[in-house]
Order: sequence, then C-alpha cells, then structure tokens
Amino acid sequence: MLGEKKPIIICRCNDVTIEDIINAVETGIDDFEVLRKYLKIGFGPCQGRSCLLLAARIFAKLTGRRIEEVISEYRVRPPIVPIPARVLLAGVIE
Amino acid sequence: MRIIVIGGGISGLFIAYELLKRGIRDIIVIEEKYLSAGGSGRNIGCFRSSFTSPEHVILMKRSIELWLNYRSELGLELKQSGYLWIARKPETLEIFEKLSVFHRNYGIPTRVLSIDEVEHVQPGLNKDIIAGALFDPTAGRMPIFENLVKLYLKLKTLGVIFHFYTKAIRLNSSGYRVKSAITSKGEIYGDIFIVSAGGKGTRELLATVNIEFPVIDETRHPIITEPYAEILKPALIIDWDTPGAPYVTQTEHGGIIFARNIADIPEALLTSHRIDVIGLTIKPIIELLPILKYVNILRYWIGYYETTPDHHPIYGPIYPYENLYVAAGFSGHGLMMGPITGLLIADWVLNGKPSIPIAENLTLERFKIGKLVKEIAIVG
Repeated sequence: MLGEKKPIIICRCNDVTIEDIINAVETGIDDFEVLRKYLKIGFGPCQGRSCLLLAARIFAKLTGRRIEEVISEYRVRPPIVPIPARVLLAGVIE
Repeated sequence: MRIIVIGGGISGLFIAYELLKRGIRDIIVIEEKYLSAGGSGRNIGCFRSSFTSPEHVILMKRSIELWLNYRSELGLELKQSGYLWIARKPETLEIFEKLSVFHRNYGIPTRVLSIDEVEHVQPGLNKDIIAGALFDPTAGRMPIFENLVKLYLKLKTLGVIFHFYTKAIRLNSSGYRVKSAITSKGEIYGDIFIVSAGGKGTRELLATVNIEFPVIDETRHPIITEPYAEILKPALIIDWDTPGAPYVTQTEHGGIIFARNIADIPEALLTSHRIDVIGLTIKPIIELLPILKYVNILRYWIGYYETTPDHHPIYGPIYPYENLYVAAGFSGHGLMMGPITGLLIADWVLNGKPSIPIAENLTLERFKIGKLVKEIAIVG
C-alpha cells in the first residue's frame, strides 16, 4: 500500500512525503497543479526532475486519473538549473 | 436564486464566500483551468493600503482589516512586516513626505525614514546610494497557495460547486438579461452572472454581449531564488527612483522574488520567456542590497497585470444588463483586494449598491462619462 513505510520522501528539495500527498488529497485537493503549488513539489533546485513523475504517478493513482491528464498543465520554467545571480549580472545593458 | 461566478481566482472565491455568508446557497464557480491558475496564483503575495488615490486607500485598508479577520475565521495566514520604498534621490523624500501626509489622513501610519532609520528596518542596504525611505508598517505578505487552498476547501464544504477546466466562451442574453453561459463543457443557466475572469478573459467574454471592457494584460516577469534563511526584514523593498520600480520580497518558504516593470509585447504569452529580463530585474536590487549577489536564481515565470486605463479595478453592475456584474482589471492588486471585492460585489448583487460609497467611482460607467480615478502620484 502507498504510504505504509513512513516517511517516504517524494520531493527531496522541499521534503514532501507520500503521506503529505495522501493527506492533501484526502482534505480535498483535486488538481495536480494545485497540489504542486500547495506542497511545493517541483519548486526546489531540481525543478521537478527527480520528483515530478513520481508525484504525478501517486496523485494519478489516488484520484483514478491518467498520468498524462494529471501533468497536462505542468510547464518547465527557465533557467533549467539554478544560476548564481552575479553570473546573470554580467553584460546587463540598460 | 442561482449565481454563476466566472473565474476561479481569489476574487471569485471571496465573492462566493461573501454571498454564502449572506444566505445564498446555489453558487457555481466556472474556471477555465485550475484553482487560481491566473493572476491570483502568479503574483508575489504582498498587500498594502498605502496607495495614492482615496479609492485604493479606503478600499485596501478595509481589505486588510478583512484579511486580518480571516486569520481566525478561515485560518488564513499573513504577516504585517511592512513595505519599504527606497529613495535614491534626496528630492524623492519630498514626494514621500506628501504621500505620508496623505496616508496619515486616512489612518495609515506611513513615515519617512532617514538613512540610519532605513538601515534599522533592513540591515545591509548600500547607504552610499540611498537618500532615505518611506515605510508602511501595516503592509505585508502571505503564503498564497496555503490561503487559496484553505478558502477553496471551505467553499467546497459549504456547498459551492466548482467546474474546473471549463472555459466560458460566450454569454447568452435575451433582452437585458443574461440567460446562460456557453462553456467548453456545455451551457450553464443562472439568475445572476458575475464575471471575474482576469483581464483578457473578462474583456473577451463581455464582448459577446456587446460590452466594451477597457483592460489589457501586461506581462510581468517575477524571478525566484533557492530558499534562504530570512534576509529581507520588510515584506517588500521597492527601488522607487529606478525606472520600472524594481522590487524584492522573500516568501515564507525562503525564496527571494525579484520583479520589475519591463516593457514587453502587449499580451505576450505566458510562455514567452525572455532571458534578458533576469539581469535587468536583479541588477538595481543588488545595487541596493549587495548580499543578494550571492543568491542562486532558480526559476522565473510570467503573470499579467490586468491593467485598466486608470490602474483601478472595474467593479459592479454592467449596464444595461439587469443581472450581470463584474470584478476585474485589478492592475496588479487583485490578491490584496480579494476580501473587499467579495464584500462589494455581494453588496451590489444583493442590495443594489456598495456599502462603501467610494466604490461607486469604480464602475465601468466611469470610462463612458470620462470620470477616471485620479492619483496624487503615479507609482510604478
């Protein structure tokens, strides 16, 4: 069963566990984008590369939806990896 | 009586909540995507009442009082840690003095700070390039999605019906009554229709009943860093004297958000990312607070300021229709106005007029009669 062994971390950047996801769904969160924003899944330095599909699969299973339906609103945001601010300052022309 | 609310953002949610509190039970909210997929979920979570028009000041002050009440009523979270407007030029302090007098007339205790006082509010500022600041201790910030989800779950428990991924395509009217909304998932009938569907969405929907709605979606490009321990003491620091008024805030989770008003193609797509925006936005802020040059930029996204000609929202009835209302065009202030939006729209729908008279100045009629809202100073 999902969540029997605790804690199982799904989003390592923001320490989100399977239990957090199950609890959120049980309280009535019924959309994957809302769940992501509420628990901050995929908003850490990995930008979802390690957690997104795991979380989407769990959410799809809990809500009886297809995984492609669940992630349809997910968008990748630049930059792909975190960049030091001082690097991005180089060459700024007003 | 069935009320159809078009738009599942903060305004739609608070309109539904206020109607429920006044005894309306049959409320349906239609949302094109997911909960708060538009501006309500894309903004930086800050609020203030220290504006430059009586309309904004009076309504926002009441809105903050309501937000504070909702901490106990709904379990919402917010923190009044203040807004700090930095002046680089000494002459800007004269404008700040005038603004502060204006604010204090309305009971908002803003004050002008000397360089040393500024350092007390935010340590680490580059004192060599600043002249002073204006501080509003009643302004603040909130964790957006925590609050939105709490409000949404409460509304569901109270019986509000939500239809997500349902786009309202056009309104169907007979005479001066709106009969139904034609959506991507079929036709929905109702007695009252309230449109709160962002800027362009509201404009396009009202065009289907021949109403001209003067709003344009202007892109904003917020940028967030990895999370850090608390660096920023006030909720928001604004670089008043730099074009595009760059600003910076730190979320409850620790991410530092930078933003600046940078000219862009009108109504550019939410996916039209511009790499040049990052450097342009962070540079002036890092000049002010040099420690920020060590942060790592994590992600940037686009949201819209749904801007009206006078940068104030459009509220209330849509004449000549008898059962059509609007709350849109917040020009960047929709989240903070959420509670007062709910209150005013419920007033108009149930009592025919707003309980705060100055809100009458914000109806769509003002553009027909040329009575736009006047500000004592234009803030970026």
